[in-house]
Amino acid sequence: MHAEITSLLAILVFPGVIFLFVLAFFYEWVDRKFFAKLQNRYGPLHTGAHGILQPLADFLKLLSKEDITPFASDKLIFALAPIFYLALPLTTLFVVPILSQTSLITFEGDLIFVLFTFTLIIMTVFLAGWSSISRFSTIGSIRATLQMLGYEIPMGLVTIGPAIAAKSLSISKIVEWQSLHFWIVFLQPLGFAIFTICLLAELQFVPFDIPEAETEIVAGWRTEFSGRKLAVLRLGKDLELVLASALITSLYLGGPQQFWLIPPIITFLVKTTFAVMLLSLLRAVFARFRIDQMLTGTWKYLLPLATFQVILIQLGFGG
Amino acid sequence: MSHGSIIKIPFGPQHPALKEPVNFLFEVDGETVVNVKPRIGYNHRGIEKAFELRTYTRNIYLAERICGICSDAHTTCYTQAIEELLGVEAPLRARYIRVIIAELERIQSHALWLGLVAHEIGFDTLFMYIWRDRETILDIFEMISGNRIHYAMNTIGGVRRDIHAAMMPKIKKGLDLMEKRVKYYLDVVQTEQTILKRATGVGILKPKDAVDLCAVGPILRASGIKNDVRADDPYAAYNEIPFNVITCDGCDILSRIMVRLEEMLEGVEIARHALDSMPEGVIRVRVPMKVPQGEVVSRVEAPRGELIHYAKSNGTTKPERYKVRSPTLGNIPALCKMLLGGYVADIPIVLAGIDPCFACMDRMAFIDTKKNRKWVLTMPQLRRKYKRKCMQK
Repeated sequence: MHAEITSLLAILVFPGVIFLFVLAFFYEWVDRKFFAKLQNRYGPLHTGAHGILQPLADFLKLLSKEDITPFASDKLIFALAPIFYLALPLTTLFVVPILSQTSLITFEGDLIFVLFTFTLIIMTVFLAGWSSISRFSTIGSIRATLQMLGYEIPMGLVTIGPAIAAKSLSISKIVEWQSLHFWIVFLQPLGFAIFTICLLAELQFVPFDIPEAETEIVAGWRTEFSGRKLAVLRLGKDLELVLASALITSLYLGGPQQFWLIPPIITFLVKTTFAVMLLSLLRAVFARFRIDQMLTGTWKYLLPLATFQVILIQLGFGG
Repeated sequence: MSHGSIIKIPFGPQHPALKEPVNFLFEVDGETVVNVKPRIGYNHRGIEKAFELRTYTRNIYLAERICGICSDAHTTCYTQAIEELLGVEAPLRARYIRVIIAELERIQSHALWLGLVAHEIGFDTLFMYIWRDRETILDIFEMISGNRIHYAMNTIGGVRRDIHAAMMPKIKKGLDLMEKRVKYYLDVVQTEQTILKRATGVGILKPKDAVDLCAVGPILRASGIKNDVRADDPYAAYNEIPFNVITCDGCDILSRIMVRLEEMLEGVEIARHALDSMPEGVIRVRVPMKVPQGEVVSRVEAPRGELIHYAKSNGTTKPERYKVRSPTLGNIPALCKMLLGGYVADIPIVLAGIDPCFACMDRMAFIDTKKNRKWVLTMPQLRRKYKRKCMQK
């Protein structure tokens, strides 16, 4: 009985749902604050210390706003899409090690599961945009799907790298291998770079914020969402950021490791914060690509480079 | 990427890429624009009519409010027109001050524009940096005139405020800073790959098209045609100051960026030269209230291009007819040409590329396109029509 309560608490509170929500708000703040600093602005300032509560305040405010469902929309999918968009990254985070070197749920092949949910997230985005029956949403969702065709394959290819090195398709095993050997970022820097670029595209950050390019198609696939649905979508996006940074940490930066007296959770937080800052830095220094430029770029450069990384590992470099 | 089906995308009157209301209807095949229909008139303010109801002195401040960003260009144009009708000439020092203000305004207007262009292509960091640097010029304006945007410097027969020796060091320091920053941005736009990818070969306007479609200002100069009112028909003190007319023959967005950045550098040089060689003397002459009968056309090179004002006087204290042709209106046909055949993703940057100022240009005319009939509604007619509509509701 005691063990059951502990595992239930682990899933619901720490390091489960509630902890992940807090983390999501915190990383949104880190991202916004760091992004603002890079742009010579202040960023969130007034809510809480240095505006740390601003993401939460935004979330609560959106919850209280009017929730409009467009008359012509496909109402069921329109209502379900935000829930899926929130649930998918949240579920996926359970297979990523946070508290210790083993995650809450672990099985051989959970790396494939993560990649699969990344695809599902984009499918949800597509459904969300498509069901809104708005011209901006339609174009946004088509762009999101097109973009996925560009980055998904290179991302799949480079994530094989850590798996080959650790001889396992389980993220927990990859983390464990890194604690015994080297961080994979030192062995496969090229793979790390490609993975980060693909994550930028997955997160729809500049230079790949093509599906929600504000100046072209308003808010893209999110245009018609408002109130609670928009709040949930934003939280989902934050969780996706947490997932992305946790994956960078687990696959390339050694995951939650015990350093001397420092517990693994602290190293995990430090590393993921670094990963979030890396992603914000990258989104601050580029202009947005056009969708055709993005696709040719990924197929012309990213895919061959990803293949090259796999070949290098097969030849015995970085594996 | 052709899907064989044409989608009609409305662009505006409310759209995040637009700072002012205007409507474009794009017919899009996949991601390619195949047809553009502009529709203006959402921001008509009846300024030309208002000119006829006010005295010449009050009209200075009305002219100032035609545009928020190039307010000085409009007052310069207005005062020049009225001075010509009166047969007076502003003192030389006043004309030098007009040049300084005009060039400072050009610098801040181009900086504002470059920031917006950076925002259109998703480069918000550059946007924030440029707008921070633009504050330098706005601070100088505040020091000289007390205002950041509507300086109210011009008056009929000269300028209202002098530039004192005590202000010189701050202005020169600001200009030095601006020069340094603009050189840095020149370097950035020429080397940053994502900007080059988005700006090179986008929104092409061939020199022949530019001339045929009556493009004006930096758009025309970015298509390689040397045309600048400051050089072709010098006004204020531009005939006494040496400067280059900047052109670039890339015909695309990148060359429009380059032309404007180079013009900012040239503006810094002109302002410095004017500050150094400004003669001593009075800054304004007194003029009578009544303006003799006659009509006049006045031209000024506003930051956005050639600005034309027309005034007709009937010998009273109020103009009989006043007409403004702002540069954006001249650039609309060229804009439609640039957009055709481009990508949907390029619409905002091409649109922003002409530095549009729709509020300045909005005109209203009643046209029945089927019967090809034009007419004018008088105020009582308009009032009756409006009243009827109200009662129906």
